[in-house]
Amino acid sequence: MARSALRRLMAEYKQLTLNPPEGIIAGPVCEENFFEWEALIMGPEGTCFEGGVFPAKLIFPPDYPLSPPKMQFTCEMFHPNIYPDGRVCISILHAPGEDPMGYESSAERWSPVQSVEKILLSVISMLAEPNDESGANVDAAKMWREDREQFNKITDRLVRKSLGLAPA
Amino acid sequence: MPAVFLDRLPLPSLQAYTAVSVLLLSCSVYYAVQITSDPEWKLNATLEFENNEGAKNQTIENRRELSFDEVLLENKIFRRLLEIVIFMIQEPLCIWTLINMAYCCLILVGKFIQKLVFGELRVSEQQHIKDKFWNFVFYKFIFIFGVMNVQFMDEVVLWCGWFSVLGFLHLLSQLCKDRFEYLSLSPMTSRWTHVRLLALLSVILISSSSLFVLCVFVGLQAGLNTFAFMVAECALVTVRTLYIIARYFIHLWDINHEGVWEKRTTYVYYSELTFELTALVVDFIHHLHMLLWGNIFLSMASLVICMQLRYLFHEIRHRLKKHKNYLRVVRHMESNYPMTSLEEMENNSENCAICWDYMESARKLPCGHFFHNSCLRSWLEQDSSCPTCRMSLAVHGDGSGGTPTGDDNHNNLLGALGRQEGEPTHTGNQTTNHFFHFDGSRYVSWFPSFSVEVTHTNLLGNRQLPAVQTSQLDNMARQVQQMFPHMPLNLIMEDLRSTHAVELTIENILDERLVSHPSPMFQANTTHTAISTQDSSQDNYTTQPIATNERESDQRESSASTSDWKFFEDTVFSLDEDTSESSSEDNGGLTRALSSMGHGCRFSKSPQERESMLAHRKEELFKAAKRKYLATSGSRTAELASDPEPSTSYSSSSVYDEMNIFQDPSNSRGDGQWYSIPEHHAPEHVTER
Ligand SMILES: [Zn+2]
Ligand SMILES: [Zn+2]
Repeated sequence: MARSALRRLMAEYKQLTLNPPEGIIAGPVCEENFFEWEALIMGPEGTCFEGGVFPAKLIFPPDYPLSPPKMQFTCEMFHPNIYPDGRVCISILHAPGEDPMGYESSAERWSPVQSVEKILLSVISMLAEPNDESGANVDAAKMWREDREQFNKITDRLVRKSLGLAPA
Repeated sequence: MPAVFLDRLPLPSLQAYTAVSVLLLSCSVYYAVQITSDPEWKLNATLEFENNEGAKNQTIENRRELSFDEVLLENKIFRRLLEIVIFMIQEPLCIWTLINMAYCCLILVGKFIQKLVFGELRVSEQQHIKDKFWNFVFYKFIFIFGVMNVQFMDEVVLWCGWFSVLGFLHLLSQLCKDRFEYLSLSPMTSRWTHVRLLALLSVILISSSSLFVLCVFVGLQAGLNTFAFMVAECALVTVRTLYIIARYFIHLWDINHEGVWEKRTTYVYYSELTFELTALVVDFIHHLHMLLWGNIFLSMASLVICMQLRYLFHEIRHRLKKHKNYLRVVRHMESNYPMTSLEEMENNSENCAICWDYMESARKLPCGHFFHNSCLRSWLEQDSSCPTCRMSLAVHGDGSGGTPTGDDNHNNLLGALGRQEGEPTHTGNQTTNHFFHFDGSRYVSWFPSFSVEVTHTNLLGNRQLPAVQTSQLDNMARQVQQMFPHMPLNLIMEDLRSTHAVELTIENILDERLVSHPSPMFQANTTHTAISTQDSSQDNYTTQPIATNERESDQRESSASTSDWKFFEDTVFSLDEDTSESSSEDNGGLTRALSSMGHGCRFSKSPQERESMLAHRKEELFKAAKRKYLATSGSRTAELASDPEPSTSYSSSSVYDEMNIFQDPSNSRGDGQWYSIPEHHAPEHVTER
């Protein structure tokens, strides 16, 4: 029901506003639709995404805590677990029933006790440690394995781009 | 579907269409006036009048000849109009322009209602309307020419008129539904919007019931079949509209009332079930009636209707299946998970992990986790594990015995609890499985029967179980290890295998029952598995003071948030008077917010303020990130020059970066210059997005 989803989202929004985790900002851009959020994620320190601020949008279903939201980066991303169109492929965002990749157990998947904060934190850890088994972006996975230097060059460009700077 | 092809049809703009139809109408009226003023026509026409409404016309004629009073002048105009109208109805060309004009008016009325109630339509609403419209046109075309096989033009026109009005109502109610669903996504909508939407809904309801009266009148003359055909669509509109209104009122009630009323969800569920099933069944019977009555078993129309029937049947079946699942979950919960007692609730001050709301009463899972009755039910309808610890709950399989994993004491426990009730649910399972293999024998198969298929599904369930559980264990172990990195993973796994809950294992570690090498106490734990769970679930309460300050701080936080919640609830979920009030003080609030931009900022009452604060925080983050990036990239380039192999020593270079920020004052001064140049880009970037 939309109503309990609304209350829950409001509570999460409040929590994320009052004590936001490091490098994360999230909330509904326009409160006319509380089920569409925008999140800013800072690239984790000590990784090739360090320094970048990457915007993503989160779309919540009407039965929200029961079904996971969808997450999609709205900036250009290059990462083994992010589809070229920006959709994020991590197990926490998959409903328990479905298993598109066929490799993850239901324990890692969505459950109502997860939250926006946990999703964003696991996205940050995904940025830090790509899982090159999942082939959301095969090119990126291959490059991550084989040509790390080239990968870092690309991500550095993306970091600069995300900050609105001219490429180095 | 037909909608796809018809979608490509180029449609003229509304203004052009209106202009053309008005032009056509005036042309035909002019034509009618010309013809009727011709005395020769009048002669012919009067003869026809004589037949139809002779006496009345005669008197008018007589009076006209007798005197030229003002009243009679009016009468003359009236007569003239009557002449013209009668002529136009008889003349085929004119009647088409009239019909066209009628449709034009309908569209204009629709447009007017849209402007008045909905404003600009959203893209998805437009798409829905389009789909619905073309589908409706397609099926009604099939009905008129395929099923009714109408031969005469006037009949076609009458049916078209009838369906146009109904289709219009259908589209409006669809629009209301979409808009209502959209509005329910937002915490604050002005009361005026609700009033307008509800007014439109009741207008739809009133018109559909007056159409129903019309159906009865026509049906008295034209027979039962016509009545049934006419009334079906009417009933559909009525049921759908009523459904939307009911949901709307529930939603409004929800928004204005606090707390979770446990019984409410049940009522809402059953009312939804009734409405949905009624609509589906009415539609199904309507189509069946068409198929049987039309004598069209081997035509195109029958094919289309059969497909629709199949779809409807599938929908009904799906709905019933869902309902069975619901019933099974409810039964399972009632038999296996007891409602918590008052003192248990007092001990447990945590909120429901599903809705994050305060719990006055709850159901307790065997793993010791509490949830609202309704929250737990809607979760178990789609999954059969504890949301918190992922323990498998065997809602869909069987509860009683036969679990393959010997160390799975929880399942044994569960089985013991649900043994009496376990068997009926089991047969319930079978019937659902069985039920859907035999479409025809629907009512016979309500009785439980033990067929091969059932054992087959059971086997499947058993095979899947261990795989899930080992990976579940893995995950849980990793969770624990994150908190206690010094514990070896296999030890944690071992303990988890007996406790089956992350929390219990954590407590074991905290209480030093689980230490880096297996202690005798731990050994005892694993051997008396069945007892240990009951023990440790009680431990939850008895050992609470020992369980460190983590839990305590948790409690404090949750109690704080519940008290906050009331406050925020009042402000956020009340309707617009409050919003307008707080937006008037918005400016003051905004400046306050801007000046006090800390790390964690306050959560404003007013949505506008929240939006602007969020935007501001984002901007700040961008600025800070840019500043930092430029600072480090300055050092990074310097480093690149000195470091021969930058990419291999990746992690170490980032360490350098951090050190540079903190230690090198000259660099940070240098960064000021760097920073001043791209500063102009910063606001641009933010507004761009
Ligand atoms: Zn709840
Ligand atoms: Zn649990």
